[in-house]
Amino acid sequence: MIAKALRGGFSRRMFLKSSAVTALGAALPNMTLAAGETIKIGFLAPLTGPVSAWGKPGLDGCTIWAERVNAEGGIKLEDGEHKIEFVAYDNEYDPAKARTGATKLIREDGVSFVMMLGGDTWPGVQPVADRTGMLFSTLLPSDLSPDTTTLVAPTEVHPIYIVTGVQWLAENRPELKTAVMCAQDDALGLPSVATYLAAFEAAGIEMQDDPLLFDPATTDFAPVVTRLLSSNPDIVCLDTCYSDYVHPICTQLFLQGFKGQIISATADFYDQMIAKTSKEFMEGFIFQFPDFDDPALNAEHINFPDANGFYTEYNKRYPGQWGAVSWEYASIMELWKLAAEKAGSVDPEAVLAAMQEGGKGQHAFGEASWWGEELFGIDHALVGDWPVVMIEDGKARIKAFVSIPDWYDQHGDLLIKYMTKYDQMWSQRS
Amino acid sequence: MRNIFIWTVIAAILFALPNLLSFSQQEVLVFLTINILVVASYRLLTLTGEWSLGHVVIMGVGAYASAMLTKSSGLYVPLGIVMGGVVAGLTALALSYPLFRMKGFYFLIGSFAAGEIIRLLWKRFREPFGGTKGIKGIDPMPDFSVGFYDFDFFEPTSYFYFSAIVVAICLWILWRIEKSPIGLTFQAVHWQDKLAQASGVNLRAYRTLAFVIASGFAGIAGALLAHYIGTINPNSFDVEVMVFVLTWAIVGGTSTFYGPILGCVVLTILNEVVLRELGLEQTRPLIYGLILILSILFMPNGLESIVQKFTRQKERRSLRPEEAK
Repeated sequence: MIAKALRGGFSRRMFLKSSAVTALGAALPNMTLAAGETIKIGFLAPLTGPVSAWGKPGLDGCTIWAERVNAEGGIKLEDGEHKIEFVAYDNEYDPAKARTGATKLIREDGVSFVMMLGGDTWPGVQPVADRTGMLFSTLLPSDLSPDTTTLVAPTEVHPIYIVTGVQWLAENRPELKTAVMCAQDDALGLPSVATYLAAFEAAGIEMQDDPLLFDPATTDFAPVVTRLLSSNPDIVCLDTCYSDYVHPICTQLFLQGFKGQIISATADFYDQMIAKTSKEFMEGFIFQFPDFDDPALNAEHINFPDANGFYTEYNKRYPGQWGAVSWEYASIMELWKLAAEKAGSVDPEAVLAAMQEGGKGQHAFGEASWWGEELFGIDHALVGDWPVVMIEDGKARIKAFVSIPDWYDQHGDLLIKYMTKYDQMWSQRS
Repeated sequence: MRNIFIWTVIAAILFALPNLLSFSQQEVLVFLTINILVVASYRLLTLTGEWSLGHVVIMGVGAYASAMLTKSSGLYVPLGIVMGGVVAGLTALALSYPLFRMKGFYFLIGSFAAGEIIRLLWKRFREPFGGTKGIKGIDPMPDFSVGFYDFDFFEPTSYFYFSAIVVAICLWILWRIEKSPIGLTFQAVHWQDKLAQASGVNLRAYRTLAFVIASGFAGIAGALLAHYIGTINPNSFDVEVMVFVLTWAIVGGTSTFYGPILGCVVLTILNEVVLRELGLEQTRPLIYGLILILSILFMPNGLESIVQKFTRQKERRSLRPEEAK
């Protein structure tokens, strides 16, 4: 070991690992629970500010999930049942506040697991994760790297799932041959652009222009849309735009008379978009996040208990607030619960081992595989089927579940090509 | 002798302070210490009568410079922090040529535009700035021991001691500058510019000097931040953060050296500790905004006016026995 270290030099990764091991005993909070003690779970996401739409609805969903689990007795560990409780910290999508929040949740509140949105905030938290060995989850697998051994992306493998929408479109509407795309020029937009480009090329759909990257501070989308429509495309792709962009872009597409196909990763609050445009205009809009009252979610392979009931309860308590993340954090908790019960403990290392046992996991949309070595440098992303959702008669409906691994087996080289072009491979991240 | 005693007591309180706080409050204390340097350096610029909207971006220049120098060339982190200040000062010097062709409101808008150009450059050039994701894995301050205390810079207590020493030295320099003939000239440039000009003072040179010095210290603050959290990105230095700095300065008041510091301390504690502890996590922006409006309505001269009121009363009381004689 020493000889190997001397031969290979003392790398940063080795330093992090060794310092983590050294510090573990001193820094890791006591994970032993007293009989019947409530298990605390950390929720470290933006609850205020422009990115709060991807935090707050998730916390609301978790609250409902916890009530349902507690009503059934709680989490069943070796020493009996334990109730569950969420402790939230608003990180305002700021890495410094995320670090403070992680410290509070782990060292003061004694949480057993921390859920994050990830993105810009993860690098601020990573030193805390390295030191404490705490298990974290992210919605953005672009946070993953070989160094992030205690971070998992168990629900949303953004942006890889978007290939399913393009594939479905190519199979079901083969007459659509050309596309244009716009995206905000940020950490969320760029990997998504690379993935859509790979998906369009795999589907034989021609890009009429380079993706139009707009500044995240943009508020007037009329010129953006005018430029997009100048080549008269069959498909307009909205990438992974925040809802603050999707809504005005759709309004502009409507006002400027676009009659073609729209595809987007998300369509949060699509009822408001319909109100701003028309039911006819939004008909056929493709995106990737279902409403959980969809009958397709009652299927045998779905691993989200009583999805329809969850949606009804959510809308009763938070009317008009259902969005892409409303179910995702709760779905991560469902996976964590299964793993903790299998491990009989809430110890992060034991839970992670149980979660990844056999290389398979129970994803909300069916059994999935732990994957990601090629793209992220570590198999910590849970990937399986993902739904393709279409707006029909003013309501989001699942049209199909499409396998992401099957697409990747056939077209993985294209994805790597475009991810490399946009500097999104884990080895390219600074 | 009395001053030595007072400063010894303050040093003892600062040494004991992190040990009286929770872990997360210690983290807030580190960021508060760094922000004190940001807002105090901002005040130096305001002495000349100019208000900038690019100060936080300049802070970011220091952060990026120090992060890049330590990461790519292996520069020792404390030297990187100093270099962060130097690069921020030089950037301000370069910007001063176009910016100080303007005054007042035009300078304010010009500084905002200059800051946005710098931020766009960080976003546009993934090499070397990391693009929108910024720079990650920034070298931390290396741990060391001074015999009676082991500095482990992952721990907020250690980093607080380190940053408190750096910030204290910077504040002392800023204070000395303000009380020096240069500082008095800054005031003259603001309040009596025609008279100062008639006396041979080069207004533009003094405005530039204040801008460069203020930017240099903001750069040091940015570098301190970068080496603590280990990551920076263009959004960490956007106009929203600048609004916080302006708010601290306005609520605290800018007529005294301690005014903006007072504003920074009170509002940070309110926003990051009190409102969170009260469980008002999601309504903080609303309450924070309300308190700002109320404080501007009822304390137009800032929090420093309360301190001044008490100190004046004390002065009057101490004068009365003399008058009686």
